Amino acid sequence: MLGRSGYHLRRALRNMRQSPVLSLASVATVAVSLALLAFFTLAVLNVQQLTAAWGEEMAIVAYLDAPPEDKVLQAWIDEIRAYPEVVGVTFISKQDAYERFKRRLGEEADLLEGLEPEILPASLEIQLQEDQRRREVVEQVVERLRRDARFSDLDYGSDWLDKFEAFLLFLRVAGAALGSFLVFAALVIVANTIKLTLYARQDELEAMTMVGATPLFIKAPYLVEGALQGLFGGLAALVITWLSFRLMLMDMLAQLLMISGIDTIHFLPPAWQGAVVLGGGLVGLAGSLFALRKFVRIGPV
Amino acid sequence: MLQLYNVSKAYQRDQNALTDITLKIEKGEFVYLTGPSGAGKSTFLKLLYCAERPSRGQILVNGRNVTRFGATRIPYLRRDFGIVFQDFKLLNRRTVYENVSFPLEVTGSKRFEVSKKVYQALKQVGLQHRLKDYPLQLSGGEQQRVAVARALVVDPLILLADEPTGNLDPDVTLELMELFKDANARGTTVVMATHDRHLINRFPRRVLTLEAGRLLSDHTS
Repeated sequence: MLGRSGYHLRRALRNMRQSPVLSLASVATVAVSLALLAFFTLAVLNVQQLTAAWGEEMAIVAYLDAPPEDKVLQAWIDEIRAYPEVVGVTFISKQDAYERFKRRLGEEADLLEGLEPEILPASLEIQLQEDQRRREVVEQVVERLRRDARFSDLDYGSDWLDKFEAFLLFLRVAGAALGSFLVFAALVIVANTIKLTLYARQDELEAMTMVGATPLFIKAPYLVEGALQGLFGGLAALVITWLSFRLMLMDMLAQLLMISGIDTIHFLPPAWQGAVVLGGGLVGLAGSLFALRKFVRIGPV
Repeated sequence: MLQLYNVSKAYQRDQNALTDITLKIEKGEFVYLTGPSGAGKSTFLKLLYCAERPSRGQILVNGRNVTRFGATRIPYLRRDFGIVFQDFKLLNRRTVYENVSFPLEVTGSKRFEVSKKVYQALKQVGLQHRLKDYPLQLSGGEQQRVAVARALVVDPLILLADEPTGNLDPDVTLELMELFKDANARGTTVVMATHDRHLINRFPRRVLTLEAGRLLSDHTS
């Protein structure tokens, strides 16, 4: 069978040349469906990457109403540093916090004019071991600290993470739902295209069965045709996604994720690009299989 | 080569297209199958190449009982047959060469073998100069000769012809009969369905006469 793959490929390409409009309709449907699916994947991957990066920077901040004297403070720091999950504890004085805030404001630092450094609280910044920077570990440490009255005012950016995780979930669910629907639609359209081709070639199918062609031999060119239409559709989807990414999606994602630079927004990684093209091929192949299921009949009724 | 034992075929209940046919056709025989329209000639041929399954009885082709052959074995059985139809059944989108090479491609012959055999088959039917033409550019007689070339290109054990001269004028019919006789002389068993009495009288051979699905007579004309 494989030895005759050249024959089947030639037949498939010839079929496509003979019905260009139908073939283009299949390719276009696969392309649009997979492009939309790729848009969602792109957004999900970037949001995921961003939240993972935030997770890595995850630190616990314990605000201090009134910092104690140095000796006591050092004792507190040592006490927290003794936690197995903790790698370091840094004291940020009110003055340090003010300076840092001023730096972050950049050109708008003059907003702070007239304000005293006293307005910002001093704090202890607690960094976790690299392999412990996971949400559940952070929450455990926070829980332990919260039981101590000295460190009741704690922050670890949970609100932001909650919002982004919910957003990520929404993207995944919406992407999966819309994507599945579109992929199914593409599959049905490919199947119908192949069916129309089969109807147009009834005489050929009949002649093939009369001269002793096996069902697989009869079906193979149509399976190749479906897979090729799918692969072309997958490639077109990748090109559409890339063009949209460069022209529009990159800026949109940057704004959506509130990132100043677009350098941190990435296109689909090579493995995903391959998956889009191969996925197209699979959709096409499945569509033809669906169409051929009951079409080629060799024996008596 | 072909053996039928008590073969009946009913498409509808109580309406037999063939009833209780028992006969043998030896290797290398030339047999006419005759009878009026609706006598069961086409059904008889269809049963041989498994396009239909008998309702009763057993059919042996070259020693194999094909009565219960499934879809996986039928293609290989059909490679022993060359089949010629009254309406030619040529592929109009393919050239003469492609039409004749078709059965060889199906059986996986090498490309150089295909071109050699196709040329020889077309030479046999006198159409080697038309191989790039399409069927609709040919006359009815030429189209039927292409169909015969397609049937003979695989050197079949059995040639089945279902009213092959039905649409042809008398001169072309005689040319076609010569082709069938040549194939038969090379050892191919020929079963030809026809209701053309003149043809049977002109080329006398064994004649099986069917009427209302029954074998009325089996004699040599």
